[in-house]
Amino acid sequence: MRIRCPYCGERPSEEFTYLGDAAPERPLSNEPSSMDEWFDYVYLRDNPKGVMQEYWHHSGGCRSWIVAVRDTETHEISSTVAARDFAKGRGR
Amino acid sequence: MLSPTSLDRSLPLKRHLKQGRYGTVSADGPGVRLSVRHPLAIATIIARKGQEDKMSALLETHYGIAAPQPGRMVKGKELVLQWCGADQYFAITEGRGEGALYEDLRSCLQGSASVSDQSHGRVVIEVSGHKARALLTKGSAVDFHPREFPLEAAAMTQMAHIGVHVTRTAEDSFELSLFRGFSEHFWEWLTEQAQEFGYEVV
Amino acid sequence: MSGHRLSQGGLIDRSAPLKFTFDGKPYQGFRGDTLASAILANGVSLVGRSFKYHRPRGIMTASSAEPNALVELREGARTEPNTRMTMVELYDGLIAKSQNRWPSLNFDIGSINQLASPIFVAGFYYKTFMWPKAFWEKLYEPMIRRAAGLGRATHEPDPDRYEKAYAHCDVLVIGAGPAGLSAAVTAGRAGARVLLADEGPVLGGSLLYENEEIDATSGSDWAQEVVAELVSLRDVTLMPRTTVFGWYDDNIFGAVERVADHKMVPGPHEPRQRYWRILAKRAILATGAEERALVFGGNDRPGVMLASAVRSYVNRYAVSPGRTAIVFTNNASGYRTSRDLRSKGIRVAAVMDSRKDAPKLDSGGAPIVAGAVITRVEGGRDIERVAFERGRGQERLECDFVAMSGGFNPNVHLACHRGAKPEWKEDIQAFSAPRNGSRFVAVGAANGSMLISQCLREGAEAGAQAANEAGFRSKAAPTPLTKDESYNIKPLWWVKEGSSKAFVDFQNDVTAKDILLTVQEGYRHVELTKRYTTLGMATDGGRMSGINGSGIVAEATGKSIAEVGTTTFRPYYTPVSFGVIAGPFKGHHFQPVRQTPLHEWAEENGAVFVETGLWMRSSWFPRKGESDWLESVIREVKATRESVGLCDVSTLGKIDIQGSDAAEFLNRVYCNGWNTLEVGKARYGLMLREDGIVFDDGTTSRLGEDHFFMTTTTANAARVMSHLEFCHQALWPDLDVQYVSVTEQWAQMAVAGPMARRSLQKICENVELNDQTFPYLAAKEIKILGGVTARLFRISFSGEHAYELSVPADYGNMTARALMHAGREFGITPYGVEALSVMRIEKGHVAGGELNGTTTATDLGLERMMSKKKDYIGRMMAQREEMTRKDREMVVGIRPVNQNDRLRAGAHILSKGDAASMENDQGYVSSVAFSPMLGRWVGLALCKRGRERHGEIVQLFDGVYGVHLEAELCDPVHYDKENRKLYA
Repeated sequence: MRIRCPYCGERPSEEFTYLGDAAPERPLSNEPSSMDEWFDYVYLRDNPKGVMQEYWHHSGGCRSWIVAVRDTETHEISSTVAARDFAKGRGR
Repeated sequence: MLSPTSLDRSLPLKRHLKQGRYGTVSADGPGVRLSVRHPLAIATIIARKGQEDKMSALLETHYGIAAPQPGRMVKGKELVLQWCGADQYFAITEGRGEGALYEDLRSCLQGSASVSDQSHGRVVIEVSGHKARALLTKGSAVDFHPREFPLEAAAMTQMAHIGVHVTRTAEDSFELSLFRGFSEHFWEWLTEQAQEFGYEVV
Repeated sequence: MSGHRLSQGGLIDRSAPLKFTFDGKPYQGFRGDTLASAILANGVSLVGRSFKYHRPRGIMTASSAEPNALVELREGARTEPNTRMTMVELYDGLIAKSQNRWPSLNFDIGSINQLASPIFVAGFYYKTFMWPKAFWEKLYEPMIRRAAGLGRATHEPDPDRYEKAYAHCDVLVIGAGPAGLSAAVTAGRAGARVLLADEGPVLGGSLLYENEEIDATSGSDWAQEVVAELVSLRDVTLMPRTTVFGWYDDNIFGAVERVADHKMVPGPHEPRQRYWRILAKRAILATGAEERALVFGGNDRPGVMLASAVRSYVNRYAVSPGRTAIVFTNNASGYRTSRDLRSKGIRVAAVMDSRKDAPKLDSGGAPIVAGAVITRVEGGRDIERVAFERGRGQERLECDFVAMSGGFNPNVHLACHRGAKPEWKEDIQAFSAPRNGSRFVAVGAANGSMLISQCLREGAEAGAQAANEAGFRSKAAPTPLTKDESYNIKPLWWVKEGSSKAFVDFQNDVTAKDILLTVQEGYRHVELTKRYTTLGMATDGGRMSGINGSGIVAEATGKSIAEVGTTTFRPYYTPVSFGVIAGPFKGHHFQPVRQTPLHEWAEENGAVFVETGLWMRSSWFPRKGESDWLESVIREVKATRESVGLCDVSTLGKIDIQGSDAAEFLNRVYCNGWNTLEVGKARYGLMLREDGIVFDDGTTSRLGEDHFFMTTTTANAARVMSHLEFCHQALWPDLDVQYVSVTEQWAQMAVAGPMARRSLQKICENVELNDQTFPYLAAKEIKILGGVTARLFRISFSGEHAYELSVPADYGNMTARALMHAGREFGITPYGVEALSVMRIEKGHVAGGELNGTTTATDLGLERMMSKKKDYIGRMMAQREEMTRKDREMVVGIRPVNQNDRLRAGAHILSKGDAASMENDQGYVSSVAFSPMLGRWVGLALCKRGRERHGEIVQLFDGVYGVHLEAELCDPVHYDKENRKLYA
């Protein structure tokens, strides 16, 4: 599989480390009432057959974390973006 | 009292660097030449948040070269800058005193970038010759064809499971920079792969 | 025994005779031969025994699909079992042996399996040996394993080298027959980077053995001309002897180049094989087609061959398999073979064509029997005649070899490796390559195009399109002139008229009747048929058997063959050796090894190294007269605690952290706070995972207002770095923080013990070390040894008055030597990680055994470090009910009641009087050491409510070592509880 690093261009997946679902967002609150949100963030994951957003780390390259949109059925990656830009897009 | 002026820096690969010809001997000479650049002054420069332009401008003012684009390196009179990650560069120079480059960069960049000395942490191996490219393809998935990886291209990649920063310094010449702790292991792999081409350690 | 060399012709070099042996007998062949052609030329037809029935087998193909002619090649450490004779290029001195026979190939006891064949029917593994159960492991399985099987692998290490490499190209062309050559030369002329791979040593494919005329020259001459042009093109790379074995995501192809398999021993600096990962912008499948066997009685006997293989032996290798042939065919291929045999003067007794309405084709003068099927091949050791039917009862005709053609199966495997199913084509009665889009297209016979003109045209078109899509401009060239011969096939899946065994899968001995039985028993899906009968599970990957199997299943189930389909094609297309998969990464090079900057110093002092993570760490430093590691370790600990020791701690992860938000970043990744840390001070930090479990610990020092120096454990260094990158980039990109690994920049050494300060002082330049300038947790830059900039930290893992000194790596050995010199008067002693570990256990410091991915900060007694004033990774999840339960296992000290007892890590803790059961389990011993200072074994344990139970006598149970002893739970700090030595 090839993954397009936003900085290095296309590289083989061996240069990357997989983390998983990029959809969950880290909650901002530390209040006890937010515990359910935290559980969801830490543990709850979808396992779609189809398109999902995933964190990959270019650990064998420029060490950027990226978010790839990948089809879990075909392995086709339709887009990649640096995780920092992905986070900024969420208002982080 | 011992002093660094009386004692040279020890060279990480010294027990392997025996000059001579190895591997296949052919009429048109060794396919690959290997050498180690040492000692070097190396520093990592990482732009501070929102200071990328300022950092680049200050580099240009002081060294005559701006920060290179991703995947590129740029050569100045006294300094080489190599892209090595997002807003991150290696600055490399030769013949400077211990720590001088680091101090120099810290003062000239005026807080627009964080600087870390890496002079002792990395080993730079020069690989040249008409089989240099063929040798590198045994390790890295980067396409080193001149169309794809032209002169002064720079890439962070892996060879033999070891992180390597590669730059093309001439048509048939590359520099490989890696953590010093891996250098012996890497050298063993590299020279084994170079055997069929014949190689010379210079 | 009637195979022989023809007096002229062929692409062999008759001036280069080569000697070889088969089963110890000497033979001779020529350069250009394969082992198969050479052995046939010597009149040998029996070369192996089948897997299950031990039936005699010969050479069936001239290709990589060979199911029968498997031999053990070479000897000793280079022995290679299951090697296809058809793929072995003959070299001088070649040694081969037949396999799966005992005591000899000609007389094989195992062949009595044939007589017992009623019990070896489909699924016999599941039926026959069911009872009694205990017999399976002891009796049945070993028996079956001995009786059935292939060659034996050597137990000696492989003396040869294997390499790996990457290749990139605009156009990868797989197969160098007419279609492949045509594609490669068209793309190459356009300027594209072309890779042309072919499994054979000579490029040309079927042109090397078919009588074709292209542009008024012979096919093989045309191929040579094209190859010469390809060689002249700068960006074209030819890869003969290279099998592309798999197609993977994003147009990555796997291939094995057999660099030196055609030699007795690889050249002095040459690998035997090379494993390629090829990234192709566009790829063209030009793998041709494999001829299909016909399924009839005795079709597995030596002397029954594919019709195209006969042409290959006769035309390319100038070898005739016998004196008199009978051709059995359902398409034009048989006629072609008949013509070629006749033109070489070999007798063809008849062409039997199963088609009643066979078109009139040229057999070269041999008699044609239309509407005839062979029902049985007869004879003794050699074929003597065949029995056949054409509606007049059984008739017989003499011959000594049979050429058969059931049509052709396009070699579509690669095009199906990513999930697409091959497409049934009615006109050619075969499965053809699926459409995969323009990145990977099939041409020629692989695409089901059986005419030479189609092959050349499709190849050129695909080559042009691929080059254009890769950004080049190709020019049209005239298609060469050829003469086509129509293919015209009528399927024949199985000759039902016979009663003797008709084989579908030759290597695994699966007959047509086995498949029928399987269908009767309800395994009607082709994938189930495969697994129940082992059809297609042999080393040929079903290339000779799969489609015939589908055809028979279709007939038996009343479905169309298109509905039945094929089993799934997966890599590898042909067998790939383990050696080339491992490549150079075996033994010492299995994974990278890291050396610390103090490696040389450690070697000088006689260190015993241990690999931890990737690092070579000094474990202990034995001295003359010491009998075991424990003796050395005890000495090292005593010397350090009583005077001064020196330890290499360079492997700790070191991260330079800078930026205006550096302190805030640390606040978020550590559970304790960093705002109040003064410049010039170090602090112990504890990192949690987001689920609240402890992740890592270490000391971090503040070198400047916005400059920190973090250390991590050796084991977690890489993980912590990735974690910081994730936290910053994915969670908090708004922070102004920069960090980079400087692990390798610094050599770091611990100087510990009452004489540490006095030893260190001697190499310091500009600082007077005392409790004012360097109190506990001081962290400052100093100058040593006449100007080397170093960092000195007053921190301690051993519990002694201790320092860690960092110097730029190239000065590491020099500095360590200088310290050894400076400390000589105090008896300074190098100590390794073993002594380090003993001292940390004596002091109750937690490490790997306790930071084990299950413990919380509270479990470790570090709950006060968890700040309540800030958000940090793991804060919320650490507050979960389960994580704060009072009866969790927590760190406690442990020591045997009997001073002389030895503790063992892993022993379970039981309350006094309780039986050893899961319910009664109270926890376990996590770290142990013999304490030289206390003269007894001490340890740390994770024990339920451990902290409330200091003083309790418990039982330790260790079923592995058979340990049952009494121990006392106690304070984890076994030595110097008041920390007097730390501040001394």
